[in-house]
Amino acid sequence: MRRIGYILLYVCLGLVAVFQIFPILWLFMFSLKTNQEIFAGNPFAFPTDPKWENYLKVFDGGIGTYFWNSIWITVVATVLTILVASMATFAITRMKWKMSGLVLGLIMVGLMIPIHSALIPLYNMFLNVNLIDNPLSIVITYVTYNLPITVMILLGFYTTIPREIEEAAIIDGSSIHRLFFRIILPISAPIMSTTVIINMIYNWNEFVFVNTFISSDKYKTLTVGIQNFIGQYMTDWGAIGATLVISVLPIIIAFLFFSDKIMEGITASAVKG
Amino acid sequence: MNLRKAITLFAVLLVSVVMLAACGGGDEEKESESASGAKTVKFMHLWPEGSSAQHYKVVNEIIADFEKENPDIKIDLEVLSNEQYKDKIKVLSTSDELPDVGMTWAAGYMEPYVKGNMYAPLDDIIESDLSDSFVSGTTEAFAVDGTTYGLPLELNISTIFYNKKIFDEYGLEEPQTLDELKEIVATLNENGVNPIALGNRDAWTGSMWYMYLANRLGGDEDVLTKAIEREGSFEDPALVQAADEVQKLVDEDSFVQGFNGLADEEAKSMFMGEQAAMYLIATWDLPNFTTNEDVPQEFRDSVGYFKFPTVDGKGDTNSYVGGPGVGLFVSENSDVKEEAKAFASYFVQQWGERAVTDVGIIPATKVNVDSLDLPQMYVDVLNDLNSATNITLYADVQMSADVAQVHLDMIQALFGGEITPEEFAKTQEDALAAE
Amino acid sequence: MNKVMSNKWIIFLYTFPALLLIAVLIVVPLILSGYFGLMDWDGIGAMEFIGLDNYIAALQDSKFWESTLHSFLLALFSAISLIGYLAVALILASKIKGANLLRKIYLIPMLLSSVAIAQLWIKIYNPSNGMLNSILMWFGVDNPPAWLADPNIVLYAIFIPIIWQYAGFYILIYYAALKNIPESLIEAAKIDGATPLQIALKIKVPLIMNVFKVTIVLSIVGSLKYFDLIYVMTSGGPNGASEVMASYMYKLAFSSYDFGYGSAIGFLLLIITLIVTVVIQKLTKSKDEIQY
Repeated sequence: MRRIGYILLYVCLGLVAVFQIFPILWLFMFSLKTNQEIFAGNPFAFPTDPKWENYLKVFDGGIGTYFWNSIWITVVATVLTILVASMATFAITRMKWKMSGLVLGLIMVGLMIPIHSALIPLYNMFLNVNLIDNPLSIVITYVTYNLPITVMILLGFYTTIPREIEEAAIIDGSSIHRLFFRIILPISAPIMSTTVIINMIYNWNEFVFVNTFISSDKYKTLTVGIQNFIGQYMTDWGAIGATLVISVLPIIIAFLFFSDKIMEGITASAVKG
Repeated sequence: MNLRKAITLFAVLLVSVVMLAACGGGDEEKESESASGAKTVKFMHLWPEGSSAQHYKVVNEIIADFEKENPDIKIDLEVLSNEQYKDKIKVLSTSDELPDVGMTWAAGYMEPYVKGNMYAPLDDIIESDLSDSFVSGTTEAFAVDGTTYGLPLELNISTIFYNKKIFDEYGLEEPQTLDELKEIVATLNENGVNPIALGNRDAWTGSMWYMYLANRLGGDEDVLTKAIEREGSFEDPALVQAADEVQKLVDEDSFVQGFNGLADEEAKSMFMGEQAAMYLIATWDLPNFTTNEDVPQEFRDSVGYFKFPTVDGKGDTNSYVGGPGVGLFVSENSDVKEEAKAFASYFVQQWGERAVTDVGIIPATKVNVDSLDLPQMYVDVLNDLNSATNITLYADVQMSADVAQVHLDMIQALFGGEITPEEFAKTQEDALAAE
Repeated sequence: MNKVMSNKWIIFLYTFPALLLIAVLIVVPLILSGYFGLMDWDGIGAMEFIGLDNYIAALQDSKFWESTLHSFLLALFSAISLIGYLAVALILASKIKGANLLRKIYLIPMLLSSVAIAQLWIKIYNPSNGMLNSILMWFGVDNPPAWLADPNIVLYAIFIPIIWQYAGFYILIYYAALKNIPESLIEAAKIDGATPLQIALKIKVPLIMNVFKVTIVLSIVGSLKYFDLIYVMTSGGPNGASEVMASYMYKLAFSSYDFGYGSAIGFLLLIITLIVTVVIQKLTKSKDEIQY
């Protein structure tokens, strides 16, 4: 009986796995097709004559700069977001002060703003301070707009940290900074990895802010590479597919890395605890 | 321990410095004049290299030539795709930061920019540099209250393209009347062939069908334009009857299944994948049916086109739905307005000469067909244009933006059978009257 | 101890960067957007102050309320789907064979950008040669629906990819939360003879309740301001059948030159979301803090 239950469970899990892995395979096939095959052909079919030149087109489009910009903007914004969010969450959840609820409320308001409401005021502000067409505007916007969600995710974990850990540290004469950097940050490594993954994906795939705040090619990111293939009357979908494949690869690698970090972090904290 | 402290402080400082720098740095000079004294003209267009390689190349060559002839002017280029371009222009205009030269659409799209004093009047260069170079009627679409604010770059008319192979297979011929078209639809449906590809998610496609029916039923009078210009009513019998004809076509399964959820691009691909026999589109798609090497030769050879048929013996087949697509505007508040105008004027002249042969689009400037080696379909279309008696500008372009939105929503509802022809007409009449 | 943990200077230092960024880049635009809502402005040239006219017009605008209803439906379905994600995360975090691999596979779709997801689902929903209808016809369904064209279906059809798109996000959060539960607690329960199901429902779920509450807020707030796939896949159509608050706002501000009105709708969206969040917080409030 139990055995049958397990088999059923695995069949279900397997089916879901097929469904979840299908998009990546589909995207790869998509990237090798012509517009005709993409729209009119059988969506399950393999491309009859794989169009590897779709990838050539993408590289000819000068994707290198975009790629590099995507990487450094994503990394810098993600690191800053997590640092700033962890500090704020630490202060809100672990320290004792009256205004913490208010501050948390303010951060939560940040969750609720629709980006198209913010776009025009933000453009105007950046213009006034000469940050238009400057990657700094992108980085600080990414940090700010991902802060609320990062704080929210961290929040649930910070509240579960036992008080004894802090007490022990403080009694040992540790400063707050030492407590935060040496103890709190390491034990929150699993959840930090989670927020890293989420921030990374958001920053990597974002294009509304980049398109609006940046005009020079030298500062644009990979998502702009996709725009390159959208024409006034005609769009080259195969090349868009190739761009999407190329741009999803680094994020998959980073994801697999940080996904394992979730486990490692737990082991590490278990040893310490 | 001090290192950790330092990092925290650094992070705090970094963020604060960024913000402070941001707050204090507002009064630096703008970049319109570079060190060498050369003036920079900022130009934005919507033909990215990836999807519009020919457009992109020709634009760059024109820019290079212009810079060579005018060494003291530098063109600073930004390219975006269609939707992103529209959004960005919108954001830029709120801060009065439009590029010196950019692309605009005609009539309803440009009117708010003109009213807001964003576009410079261009009558002077049309009268001097460009006199007699535009096809008549094209610059008018870019005029508000008699002043022209845009230099049209392309001119399109819409016709029904069809697959000759499919037509031959079932012994069909180009229809002259709507009844003949309906017979073709019936024959194709009997044989399990999708008659007409239509992607009505972008409702301007369905709007072209409606406009043609209205045009034919209205006879010589352009009832739709009159209704939009408030010289007539949208509840004109011809406009209601046209809506009724649309629903009859829908009821007879003339259009592909689920057309209201399909993008134009998907419909186009059905036609180009030989899964539908007919497709009403404007001539901007000519390269796909003639010169585009990415499309199989066999398919390109089998595409023909016919003019939208007459309805109940009414209408003139030489009357078209179409109009100029994009045009160039010059920013009124540009620091380098004279240079920008010079560039726009130069661009239009060069573009006119090279658009048909190098890019495959029909420019709004006059083209001498005989001197060019063109695919037959281009020659036919150019000849049709020459004998055109009327070109009715796309309704959603004619209308102001919010009425256009009502129109497009109503088109989807009409084609989807959600409303009656009378409701269709009344809603739009109300929207137009409310302006 | 208390003295150290309530050091005002440290609190200021730790929260200042976050507060500064949010104040300048979120709160200020927010106030501006509310202010633009008081204007008759097409986004070009001069604006005219018209008081609360835009807000009053919005409250009487049936399209606005329709889009609000759609957004709330999305929020409802998103919140319900969280239970499913929690179940998946419970399975993945248990010690079954292959859980590690399965977890990675399950999270892959969340890495894709909205552009890719939209294209995938457009192909799935294509009425004549889409994947879904191909399968339905293979099973003998004669007239499968045109998913994105039928005004009665389109809204629910488009909810599926939206909810699916975020599956990985929530599974990941639950997974990390579950893995954070000390092993000793579970071992203790096992020794007491608890079944895996009992352990899951009686120990694991209560222990991550804090996280679950946070995700309820995230999913509802995220749904109420949702925009991406709706815009790419249907643009709110046909005839507004899949319009949500954010897409309606975008249409007004960016396509209809009604920037003042669009801003007012954006501001109302925020107010509505704020009220809903406060209500949820009140409903899910519990006094006891859980610590491991």
